[in-house]
Amino acid sequence: MTNAAQQHVPPAAPSFGDRSRWAFQDTATMLWRDMIRTARQPEMLVFAVVMGVFFLVLFNYVFGGAIGAGAGVDYLQFLVPGVFVITALQGAQQTSMGFAADLAEGVTDRFRSLPMSQVAVIAGRTIADAARNLIGLILVALLALVMGYRFDSAFGAVAAIVLTTVIGFSFSWLGAAIAAKVRQPDMVGMLSMFWLFPLMLASTAFTPAESMPGWLQPFATYQPISVAADAVRGLSEGSPDRTDLTLALFWTIGLLAVFVPLSVRLYRNVD
Amino acid sequence: MSIQDTVIRAAGLTKSFGDVLAADGVTFSVGRGEVLGLLGPNGAGKTTVVKMLTTLIPIDDGTATVAGFDVTSEPESVRRVIGLAGQAAAVDEKLTARENLELFSRLHKLPRQRRRSRIDELLGRFDMASFADRPASTYSGGQRRRLDIVAALVADPLALFLDEPTTGLDPRSRAEVWDSIRALAATGTAILLTTQYLDEADQLADQILVIDRGQTVAGGTPDRLKADVGRDVLEVHVSTDADLARARELVAALPGASVDLNRRQLDVPISSGAAQSLDLLRRLQDTGVTIDDFQLRRPTLDDVFLALTGSSTTPVEEIQQ
Repeated sequence: MTNAAQQHVPPAAPSFGDRSRWAFQDTATMLWRDMIRTARQPEMLVFAVVMGVFFLVLFNYVFGGAIGAGAGVDYLQFLVPGVFVITALQGAQQTSMGFAADLAEGVTDRFRSLPMSQVAVIAGRTIADAARNLIGLILVALLALVMGYRFDSAFGAVAAIVLTTVIGFSFSWLGAAIAAKVRQPDMVGMLSMFWLFPLMLASTAFTPAESMPGWLQPFATYQPISVAADAVRGLSEGSPDRTDLTLALFWTIGLLAVFVPLSVRLYRNVD
Repeated sequence: MSIQDTVIRAAGLTKSFGDVLAADGVTFSVGRGEVLGLLGPNGAGKTTVVKMLTTLIPIDDGTATVAGFDVTSEPESVRRVIGLAGQAAAVDEKLTARENLELFSRLHKLPRQRRRSRIDELLGRFDMASFADRPASTYSGGQRRRLDIVAALVADPLALFLDEPTTGLDPRSRAEVWDSIRALAATGTAILLTTQYLDEADQLADQILVIDRGQTVAGGTPDRLKADVGRDVLEVHVSTDADLARARELVAALPGASVDLNRRQLDVPISSGAAQSLDLLRRLQDTGVTIDDFQLRRPTLDDVFLALTGSSTTPVEEIQQ
């Protein structure tokens, strides 16, 4: 080394422009890191992708007969959009557990000591999980087609998958905030039972709200998973419902508006 | 040291976690090319001081600057001129050394054309080529620690923070890390080193700050600390038990003298150096004691530490942040 420390001139404070550029640059770098890690542990990818397949097969063949007959619908047609949303939600849980594991690794402390965008540490994670979700959703869609599911149109299929990915992305930030608050991976896994399962099962993802008791119906109709499932169902079937879509977007934007800044703050304050 | 040569400056650094005062008015400065050893047992508050200076945790009270930047009000500027390694920071276990260095140099915004050459240079200089392309999870303790330190160097930091860089290493790896630290100081980097090992501080540090339970107990050069606390000790080994008995009678009146029967050894504190030692040796000879061997030894940092803190280790768990 030349006496670099000697020649080193302390740089001026970063400007707003610097910061914005760093946010993109650093997110790209974190994605690059995630790609290497994923390539080195492909089993993680399998796990993320296989959940949706499980749900599709199990629900259709185990509960399908009973639920479908009771509600008087073709259950597979009803189920597939719901499984999409659940798959994305599982992705958010992956974010939560993965980010908690990141935080437990000492490397995150180094990130916090670097002149990098702090939001990029989380954005790298949530975007990578969104990409994994997208792959999982495409696989679920292909399997659904094999099982006899029919999209109304190719456009409907693409729109449904894109909307689901976006919703999953917003839930990933919720997952990241929980991870940044709780930190211990085991604890995060346990906690996700509390928010994930009620949202998942008391929803219109697997069963129509009409089949539920009256006191549960308002929750089951307007909670984000139901709204998302209904919106995605509308897109898949070529009969998009304006209210469902609006509500789904409202939830997505709401989740992002709250949990992007909150997760960054919780991450920064980790000590 | 002139003002502009001071790289790290801490004044009255204070931090508490709940009821525990982890750092209480810690004050010091580290100049270019200087190594400051922050010495203390587990839980003394060493890591807390490092975390405050590297912007990882907020400072409750007091001020700190690195390269003139205020740690509290200009954290982003501080992060551009520091490197952090050791207990408080690690590398990505799934990535190879080369990939880790690529990651950190990208995050430091090193221009693309400089990254490759900088990484090759570091891998070569720290003799890491043989394992640079294996994932870090496969490394030995010494290899991982070396990567840890090198990862802090990608952007040529003005100030380097090494938090217990050799804890848990075998003696050979430890010596290698020591060599790296000396080489870095020689290039002008200001180094803050925390350690529980007295010999490590003694070997590497220009200045030592002894802290215990968040408080500064003593400070100064290693020699100065030793001189302040302990006086030199004259160690005399005699031939036979009869010699020992005679010698014992002679030194019985001297303050602080002790006799080790098993090793047939006398330890006599000496306050006025050579003259007093010679005098004592002559008197021993005059009484017919056969002296096998003698030496005048300086007190070790262990003696110093014991005298300052009352114990060599404090049974307080390291405060986890």
